[in-house]
Amino acid sequence: MIHLKNVSKVYSNGTEALKNVSLDIEQGEFVFIVGSSGAGKSTFLKLLIREEKATFGKISVNGYDLMKIRPGKIPYLRRTMGIVFQDFRLIEKMNVYDNVAFAMRAIGTPEKFIRKRVKQVLAVVGLEDKEKRRPSELSGGEQQRVSLARALVNKPGMIIADEPTGNIDPKMSYEIMKRLVDINKKGTTVIIVTHEHDLVRTFGGRVIIIDGGEVREDRMISAQGSEESGSVLFAEKADNADNVENVISPSGNEPESRNNEEADNS
Amino acid sequence: MKFNSSGYLVKEGLKNIWTNRMMSLASIIVLVSCLIITGAAILVSINVTSLISSIGEDNQVNVFLVYDMSDIDAIKLGTVIKKIDNVEDCVYYPKDEAIKEYKQKLGNLYDSLQGEDNPLGNVYKVQLTDLSNYKETIKQIEAIDGVASVSDRGDIARTLTKLNYFVSIVGFWIVLILGIVTLFIISNTIKMTMYSRRFEISIMKSVGATNTFVRIPFIIEAMTIGLISGLVASFTLIAIYNPMRETAGRMITLIGTSTIPLSDIWLNILLGFCGAGILIGALGGFISITKYLRKEGGEILGW
Repeated sequence: MIHLKNVSKVYSNGTEALKNVSLDIEQGEFVFIVGSSGAGKSTFLKLLIREEKATFGKISVNGYDLMKIRPGKIPYLRRTMGIVFQDFRLIEKMNVYDNVAFAMRAIGTPEKFIRKRVKQVLAVVGLEDKEKRRPSELSGGEQQRVSLARALVNKPGMIIADEPTGNIDPKMSYEIMKRLVDINKKGTTVIIVTHEHDLVRTFGGRVIIIDGGEVREDRMISAQGSEESGSVLFAEKADNADNVENVISPSGNEPESRNNEEADNS
Repeated sequence: MKFNSSGYLVKEGLKNIWTNRMMSLASIIVLVSCLIITGAAILVSINVTSLISSIGEDNQVNVFLVYDMSDIDAIKLGTVIKKIDNVEDCVYYPKDEAIKEYKQKLGNLYDSLQGEDNPLGNVYKVQLTDLSNYKETIKQIEAIDGVASVSDRGDIARTLTKLNYFVSIVGFWIVLILGIVTLFIISNTIKMTMYSRRFEISIMKSVGATNTFVRIPFIIEAMTIGLISGLVASFTLIAIYNPMRETAGRMITLIGTSTIPLSDIWLNILLGFCGAGILIGALGGFISITKYLRKEGGEILGW
């Protein structure tokens, strides 16, 4: 599904954002990409959606060779994936229904199919009764669910979520993550870029740690949180946002401070 | 782009106009002004051309007799004119007839100008057989005793030709400069729309919208602005054409019958203006959105 071989990215100002990265992500995987700000996560995402082109190496996504792809084909590559943004990226002047339908209209889907599919996908994210609401009338968690519905509506084989819980409270974060897990269970590849180590600890999966433009670790972590304990864990985080715990690197990596994470997020 | 999205794209384009209504209105005003000026230059040019050709076809000259010549002497002079080779016909037109005609055209302004107060002279309207001998014939007529002057329409034709040339040159530059100005204005309007919708464009790009799909609503917006401007400009010009033509006809008798009637050209004005508006709109919109998509519009904002 995603294959990177010796991929490097050097920007025109000389910044080497990714160095010799090689990895494979197969259909149906649940993957966390973890790293601090400036580690190369954003560049990694930009390469996946072909907003940037790798300077060296080979990279293919969903059957498209991204080193050779013609500009006219890039939209078709992007249709094979759904993107969830940290800041939701909802259009305020549109209601929930239109925000989700927008993704289908943008690729030229006939209106009769849009109506049916949007209703289906809003039911999946539990917002079927809020389709007439504007984004500002929804909570952060609900807005992110709309964003998730928009990412899902074109039935992509892969969801890329960039800090999906970064702007919502811990209880809602748990809800969003649970939905992503459910989506993954139905066969969709889910790639989550995050700072939130608690997410990784609670839900488990494949964890790829990027640091300084290189892949430092790539391993499986088993889920530690049941549904109940996961909720409790996130609720505790809400009560004590400064509670710092590095659960990803038992091998002795220095824990990152929550303050740093927040600074990175900003 | 699929055909079934065309309704959505047209709707989006029209919505853009309303969303940026102030900028759209400003564009329409500028575009209408440009189209009216351009159209006026073209209309003057084609009317002058028509006038020149009608003068060219008109082989009649007016021979003005000396002011105090009696009617009997005038009739005798007529027989002399008729004897000239190149003269086909010769009709006497006494000054009393001429002043009556003026009074009909200009109302009671000339009521007092009768009899002795009539400033006009007696005239012979002389029809020539061959215009190529125009100058020689005129010389022969001028040489006859009692002839005060001969209206030389050749001079008028030459002056009008110069005027037409001038109008064409000025018209060309007006069309060129105003064309560039309108293109600039339209592309700026579209740029404003794109700026206000950059967020939506970014989302569209992230979900896999093609550049064509992103482009179409903006081009429709620009074309609609062009069409509205074309309609307003053509209706304005159609509304003022006849009054302007009549005023010009009253001021210069020569113009009266030789200009092009509105019924002959209103459709051309309408189609020409709307076509020009749509074309400028499409071009301005296309340039603007293509430039944007090639640069910042190709990126997904905030990543």
